[in-house]
Amino acid sequence: MPQSRASLRRQAREHFTRASRRGLLVAFEGPDGSGKTTQRKLFKTWLKAEGYDVVTTKWNSSDLIKPIIKSRQAVRALSPEEFSLLHGADFRHRVEQVILPALWAGKVVVADRFLFTGLARDVARGLDLDWVLKLYQPLLWPDLVFYFAVSPRTSGKRILATRTPQFYEAGQDVTDVDDPVESYQRFITRLIREYESLALIFNFVTVDAERSIGEQHHEIRRLFREGEKRPWSDWNADAVAEWLAIGGGGA
Amino acid sequence: MTARKPALITVDGVAGAAIVAAARIALTSIDRAKRSGISHWDASGVFEELAVAGAAAGAPSVRTLLLLYAADLAFRLRWEIRPALAEGRSVVAAPYVETAVAFGRAAGIGREWLANLFQFAPRPTERLFVDGAVARAGRGGGFVEFGLAQVSGDALGATRAQLASRMSAHLRAAARRRELSG
Repeated sequence: MPQSRASLRRQAREHFTRASRRGLLVAFEGPDGSGKTTQRKLFKTWLKAEGYDVVTTKWNSSDLIKPIIKSRQAVRALSPEEFSLLHGADFRHRVEQVILPALWAGKVVVADRFLFTGLARDVARGLDLDWVLKLYQPLLWPDLVFYFAVSPRTSGKRILATRTPQFYEAGQDVTDVDDPVESYQRFITRLIREYESLALIFNFVTVDAERSIGEQHHEIRRLFREGEKRPWSDWNADAVAEWLAIGGGGA
Repeated sequence: MTARKPALITVDGVAGAAIVAAARIALTSIDRAKRSGISHWDASGVFEELAVAGAAAGAPSVRTLLLLYAADLAFRLRWEIRPALAEGRSVVAAPYVETAVAFGRAAGIGREWLANLFQFAPRPTERLFVDGAVARAGRGGGFVEFGLAQVSGDALGATRAQLASRMSAHLRAAARRRELSG
């Protein structure tokens, strides 16, 4: 006999509030060239040294969906809706297969990009924020979101120093600009505007990514120490309950 | 049935073979010069690629499959359905939205989430619902049979027969609502 959703929500609450060291979800967000991957790696090394069991998950990385997205990106075959829905599917699969199992086991999950990347990119492509946000329901909120704030100019300078942006990264599917460099500058400006709105709406912790790597890292350590004491958010009960209903947690 | 204006005719049901059979009949009832063809599920090849993924990738949940179905439907609308209508030709979409909604509802996915997911899909001119027993999971060539084969038994929360029965009930109710609303 399947358990009711109310009972599964109760089970989720009890699990996450009674654990001596509960699972924590920390997301690193920001535009390309903001240095978040460097910070994510430094943070992971530090967490491990501090005795945490750490799992990393990256955007568009599920073994099931990533190949589907990659093959379509390669032939530039995605409309904004398809782009959004496929990334939503990839995210959902990682939530169920990687993120929730690790959190349930009391690990720290460090996400290099989270659903906010989908929101910012899709809205910058002209999709409706409300429609996109609902695709990600039931929502799983991180305990902490570090937003690495850089100007469009800095992002462009850092990316273009090493490579030419790819078609979708440069937003060429929506800018109609043939030159990837020019398209990137236009698209990243839109994208950063969306990120900044999301940072306000969802109360991100903003890290000034124009500062030195060491300064940023020490600030992140300090903010994590403060953030890890926060109680488990009951907003996540629905997401955990659905995962339990489909056999997660050995239910 | 003879559609006068270019029409989007949809066929939904649980049994893949029955959907295809009904779609063929619906198509042949339209003047040859005014019809396009049948838009089938997986025109984008998303599910074909999914089927060859190794077991280590993990089984998709119903919600993940529905997101993929919506992505495939967006592809069908872009390349098959909207172009046909723009050329003044009628097109049969088989299956369309209601099959996926029935699949989701039977597995406990909320009505609001499903309504939002398929918000981008235009309203059909005419909707057809077909009754018919679902083939064994993985057989029959339909989205529902494919979905039942992909999702692990634990993740369904019910037996496959129970789910198929719930889907049929949902589709019958949708058909009744259509009749009542004219």
